[in-house]
Amino acid sequence: MSATQDEAPPVWHGEDVTIGDVLAALGEIRYKFARAEAGDEELLHPRNCVMTLIGIAPTEAHEHVAKRTTQTIGMQHPAQAIVIREEAPIRGRYLDAWITTDVRRPEVACAVQCELLTLHVHGKAADHLGALLDPLLVSGVPTYLWWLGTPPFGKRELLDALRVCDGLVVDTSHFDEPYNSFRRMAGMLKVAHHRLGLGDLQWARLRPWRETIAQFFTPSERRSFLRGISEMGIDYAGEGRGNRIAASLVTGWIASAMGWRLRRAVAGSGGVVAAIYESGGRSIEVQFRSVPQGDRVAGEVSAVRIAGASLGKSFRLSVHHNPPRARRVSRTPVDVERRRQDTGRVLLTLIEIGDGEPLRHVQQLEPEAEAELLLDLLSTGTHDEVYNRSMAAASELMEKV
Amino acid sequence: MKVEEAPNPLAEGLHDYRIAVPAVMVIFGATGDLSGRKLLPALYNLARQRSLPAGFAVVGAAMTEMSDGAFRKHAAQRIRQFSRTQPIDDRVLDALLSSLHYVTVDFGRLEDFKALGTKLDELDAANHVPGNRIFYCATPPPTYQTIAVQLQAAGLNKGEGFHRIVVEKPFGSDLQSARELTQTLQKVFTEDSVYRIDHYLGKETVQNILAFRFANSIFEPVWNSNLIDSVQITVAEEIGIENRGAYYDRAGALRDIIQNHGLQLVTLTAMEPPLAFESGAVRDEKVKVLRSIRPLIGEDIEQSTVRGQYTRGWVLGEQVGGYREEKNVAPDSQTETYAALRLFVDNWRWAGVPFYIRAGKRLPKRITEIRIQFKRPPHLTFGRDAMKEVDPNAITLRIQPEEGISLKFGAKVPSAGLRIRSVTMDFQYVTSFLVEAPEAYERLLLDCMIGDPTLFTRADEVEAAWTLVDPIESAWRDGRPRLQTYAAGSWGPDAAAQLLNADGREWHRP
Repeated sequence: MSATQDEAPPVWHGEDVTIGDVLAALGEIRYKFARAEAGDEELLHPRNCVMTLIGIAPTEAHEHVAKRTTQTIGMQHPAQAIVIREEAPIRGRYLDAWITTDVRRPEVACAVQCELLTLHVHGKAADHLGALLDPLLVSGVPTYLWWLGTPPFGKRELLDALRVCDGLVVDTSHFDEPYNSFRRMAGMLKVAHHRLGLGDLQWARLRPWRETIAQFFTPSERRSFLRGISEMGIDYAGEGRGNRIAASLVTGWIASAMGWRLRRAVAGSGGVVAAIYESGGRSIEVQFRSVPQGDRVAGEVSAVRIAGASLGKSFRLSVHHNPPRARRVSRTPVDVERRRQDTGRVLLTLIEIGDGEPLRHVQQLEPEAEAELLLDLLSTGTHDEVYNRSMAAASELMEKV
Repeated sequence: MKVEEAPNPLAEGLHDYRIAVPAVMVIFGATGDLSGRKLLPALYNLARQRSLPAGFAVVGAAMTEMSDGAFRKHAAQRIRQFSRTQPIDDRVLDALLSSLHYVTVDFGRLEDFKALGTKLDELDAANHVPGNRIFYCATPPPTYQTIAVQLQAAGLNKGEGFHRIVVEKPFGSDLQSARELTQTLQKVFTEDSVYRIDHYLGKETVQNILAFRFANSIFEPVWNSNLIDSVQITVAEEIGIENRGAYYDRAGALRDIIQNHGLQLVTLTAMEPPLAFESGAVRDEKVKVLRSIRPLIGEDIEQSTVRGQYTRGWVLGEQVGGYREEKNVAPDSQTETYAALRLFVDNWRWAGVPFYIRAGKRLPKRITEIRIQFKRPPHLTFGRDAMKEVDPNAITLRIQPEEGISLKFGAKVPSAGLRIRSVTMDFQYVTSFLVEAPEAYERLLLDCMIGDPTLFTRADEVEAAWTLVDPIESAWRDGRPRLQTYAAGSWGPDAAAQLLNADGREWHRP
């Protein structure tokens, strides 16, 4: 048992138990809670649950992250969370289990209990996760499988677990062998059951970029610029093909939305990629450029530049993540306001249209805690056609280079 | 013919993200209460969600002499005090404040509106905004017409881009004044550029009435007079009139609540499915309901309405004074602080189903709900004795404060015998969704920037509501029926209970 269980003592724990034992313990915990909350009332409040979230943790460190994240989500939303860690076989031992509960008491509603079930699975049972999980799932609400690390794409273990799930959530920025794993994941959707959705925390991190770029093209007078895009440049942190997933996803997103067809792509030294897309007889030049990693995460996108012309007017959109900040000289009345420590992240947008003065727009990005990204992703479900087609286009680009 | 613009393909899949176009929003009355409590905090939260596009700017316009810097300081202070999200993110706030400007405007001076126009042109040029303008009247209703006329005189209602005006309820004080307001606004702006805000419609739970009815197949088949016995709508407040005595004593519960919020809830409950959740279709159906409501005239008013006024009493454990003791209220005031109506929607779906609406101040608690009361089963299979503790089925749509839906039905009590009693199945917003609901003004401001008037009130809707209310108001002013009193902290005058008792029904205790 890892140290994290010490943080919130389990209300039940069993070693070498069966799923039947776990279910019996869960049933008793739920009944006691409902009975206690009902007080003198004869009727128990109905149990409220919006999803089952399963985290598969290959290591103790992953288990810690999964538990912390699912507990954070559970405290806001009544979910049942199951964290599974595969353990080396121990003779005669099949399953160890811990149940931890968190009770939330909203001001204007009855209390809800979130259950965190931690399972350490020994030996071959881990290859049959579907059978293990099925009896534990809450009926009628979606089940999401969050695989920390790199899922074993193409292996029976993953496919068996996916059998009982509505969505798989991964983080492609944390893949081992990211290039190969990403391509295997793109292939997996072809063989998974049709209900299965796929969510990617890296895609969720790209959302502010997508919003900002989409926003530029939203006014009707700028809509024609979409068909006039002639070049696009993306800067990414780190080198190597494994660090180009986010950049490829941004490219794949725009290319698939606009119906661009990839004609050729080459990779050069220093992390440079040059690709040519074609659309309606026009060529669109796409370039990736590696920038020093600094304090960025490897693979992170640091800038996107889109330029072109339409109806005789040129345009250039540049979006930068955490650009160097100029020192302020003057103090406005706002500066007098008391400030918190400056820890946020910034997205700076520069818009140039025709001969006009550049327009500068600064937006703050919320901290990207795993729990918030996961919540954002799960709140809209994991069936994201835009991601699927962006991933397919990104995979095509990556394959070419 | 208007050509539909193709959607932005890059916006696809951004789910809730709704993209506004760059515009300048002019807030008249920018230093006032509505602006400080609601509009500026809503703009801050929109900025925090990255919903304000590059080039968006706000121009505060009010009588007070003030510099841009002073207005920004004022705005910062209000946002810190009233934002629903805390703590304030200083960098979001700074970015928003840098887009705030101020122009002193005396609504009676055309020169001031021309100076405002000059400022707007400067901002358009600097921000690549092609003249898109939203004029928000966060001012007392009597100023709406003056502002509109001055905007026209200064030429600010036309030119490149869109020009929208936002006005807050009340939209007139009777049918005639509502028509006059509409006529003035429509001389200056086209009807689809007039955004009449009733912030109630921006509430998530109000919109959810439509989702509940039309996104589910199991409720619509029973949503009619075949199975529904009656509908009860309650808009109760535990507070008194606070510092609004001067306004409230002229308005009363009928005009303050029933004419707008109350009838909005009736329309959303009774409307037919619109073709799409789109402004024309939704508002057409709502107007049809209002026009189907049987007008109360003559003796109907005495038989189907109750008006009351609170006297001293106890609310939430505290003793409170009577209405006539409130500040700026006439000592012999005949204004109602409670109104109850029995209405009938004369159409195929609702024939014979009474809609009971009540709204009041100094009631035991703050609650807004719609209760759909179903008929009893046609035959007592389990005998009268087994069913004596069973109420008829009911669906309650709770709008505030415990936003949710509950379904009441009968279930067997575990025992050797056969006894049935009522149980409820509850859905609560607060525990069921993964996202926090935005403030109504955030939704409505963004809708206005996007150009989606679905949740705003159309002129014919306003007029249809006043057409229903005016005869009642007129009879009440003549003392028909007599003004009843009720103790603060009670559920209204006895006459309100009798209104339902006469039909063999009772008010549901929320």
